[in-house]
Amino acid sequence: MADSKSSDSEPTTRTLLRRVLDSAVPRTPLRPRSARTRSLSSQRKVTARRQSHGARAIGRWAHVQARGHLEEQTPRTLLKNILLTAPESSIVMPESVVMPVVQPSRRSTSGPQVVQPSRRESSRGSLELQLPELEPSRTLAPGLLASGRKKQKLRLSVFQQGVDQGLPLSQEPHGNADASSLTSTSLNLNFATPLQSQSVGRPGLARRPPTRRAVDMGAFLQDLRDTSMALVSPGDSHRTPIATLQKDAVLEDTQPFFPPLVGRSPSPEKPTQLLAGRAVEVKALAVGFPNTSSGISGEDGVEPLGDAVDEQAEERMEEGGLSVSEAKEATGTQGSAGVEESEGHTEVTEADGSAGAVEAKEPGGSSGDKDTSNRTASPQLASSGPKSLQARRLRQFLEPVPPRSTADLGTEPLQSLLARLPPRPRTAGRRPCQDPYKAGLNHYMKLFSFYAKMPMEKAALEMVEKCLDKYFQHLCNDLEVFAAHAGRKTVKPEDLELLMRRQGLVTDQVSLHVLVERYLPLEYRQLLIPCAFSGNSVFPPQ
Amino acid sequence: MALSTTVPQKKNIKRKAPRGFLKRAMKQQKPHLRLETNGDLLIHLNCLLFIHRLAEESRINASESKCRTIKKEHVVAAAKVILKKSRG
Repeated sequence: MADSKSSDSEPTTRTLLRRVLDSAVPRTPLRPRSARTRSLSSQRKVTARRQSHGARAIGRWAHVQARGHLEEQTPRTLLKNILLTAPESSIVMPESVVMPVVQPSRRSTSGPQVVQPSRRESSRGSLELQLPELEPSRTLAPGLLASGRKKQKLRLSVFQQGVDQGLPLSQEPHGNADASSLTSTSLNLNFATPLQSQSVGRPGLARRPPTRRAVDMGAFLQDLRDTSMALVSPGDSHRTPIATLQKDAVLEDTQPFFPPLVGRSPSPEKPTQLLAGRAVEVKALAVGFPNTSSGISGEDGVEPLGDAVDEQAEERMEEGGLSVSEAKEATGTQGSAGVEESEGHTEVTEADGSAGAVEAKEPGGSSGDKDTSNRTASPQLASSGPKSLQARRLRQFLEPVPPRSTADLGTEPLQSLLARLPPRPRTAGRRPCQDPYKAGLNHYMKLFSFYAKMPMEKAALEMVEKCLDKYFQHLCNDLEVFAAHAGRKTVKPEDLELLMRRQGLVTDQVSLHVLVERYLPLEYRQLLIPCAFSGNSVFPPQ
Repeated sequence: MALSTTVPQKKNIKRKAPRGFLKRAMKQQKPHLRLETNGDLLIHLNCLLFIHRLAEESRINASESKCRTIKKEHVVAAAKVILKKSRG
């Protein structure tokens, strides 16, 4: 209603609103008794103006009574009344509409049918530009809201209830496919908006997504394996726990930690308890997959499978944590291609994607090593692709035990990994060893971007990380040399100062203390620079 | 962080030295070497200065090649120079 109001140049909102009301009010069919009987045309005009008002979050619930006392009303109520009475024109919905609930109190028993269509039309029209959520409520939940509640707060829940009820309701009385569909669609759409608008309206309530800690796969899988070991029953009766064991085995392949190889157990039945979990899982896999995956293996009998499984288990134990792929390759030599395939299939499900590069390595490695007759089928290769990928992953984390039969496959990715990582004593838990180092470096990388004050590429950041690495190594070497030169085994600050002098950071003009003061803003300065305190004491002590 | 145009200083930058990390890294590299009590602070200072020089050099390289962002080659060239300088 900007145009009309502004043209009037009325000073107060109240008068403006009153004007609107006066002009607009009488049109609603719901109020047959309304004192103001104006023409529909005027209302139409007003409607248009009202529509341009913008979103009114006020519910249109019956504040009709307030209308009667327009003089005493505040602009707020005036607006409300306007909203209540506004719905006009721009009919989108067909006639058969459920009585809009908006004015329950006013809605006398005067021909609700007659009232409804026009009301509905008007409501639809007016609502178009306004809050969409009002629309369906008005159109669809007559029964609910007809009780004359004026509460806006209940709107959403009531609305939803009403909609739920109204949806089936509306379809009946309408008998219009269009109407119902329209309402339903509109409803479906409108359901979303109120929630959104709420959240938009009150940003304070928005919750941040909880930060998630990365799951420690090693511990998790270790626990899994322990439990599975406890649960596992010997023999081939893995039918039922196959699913879980399969999962375990599949999960197992990604876990970084694997117990060191124990030694070959000649038992054909079951591997020793040490690697029982893994071996059993492998067995389960081996046993289960051929059964589950039909048509994969040509020669799978239970016996060759059993042997293959044993070999696999032995392989595993021997090589101490080789991936399933390796074991499979070993078993491939024994000729249970089906098992590998089946296992590979499960692993495919797990390690899908990014198997391409590994696949390239795989055939190269395997052909050189293995009985290539077993690796004929391409599905095998495909399956072994992800296997070897997992193998790579495993090797990243495990001790680099050179597999006796998978030398080719193992050394290739292993060497690349070794070359990348800085020479550091590796422990069993690969990930915790690697991450804190990188995390510490990340700190310096952030500082780098801060100092640079320019946007950087990710590749550039990685480059910086490498430089930092190298620099740190140089630093340690130099400090060692300096300390040894001074006949010490401990690195003292004098060594550091000498290093900085040689680097050109500390000169005759710029002393170390100056640098400390400049770059270490915290109480580090107090720790580093000797300062005299009361009582003839110096800290740090000289 | 890498692609943000500005680095929000208050958020990213911690002024604290990763003392534990430094000590552990030193131990890993030179297990036979000991580090004095506040020596790692000076190491941290050293790293800061190194990074500072590296960043300056990279920025200069980038602006010389009229790029708005620091690219890998800028960093590489800068690293060559600065590492040589920091050889000690």
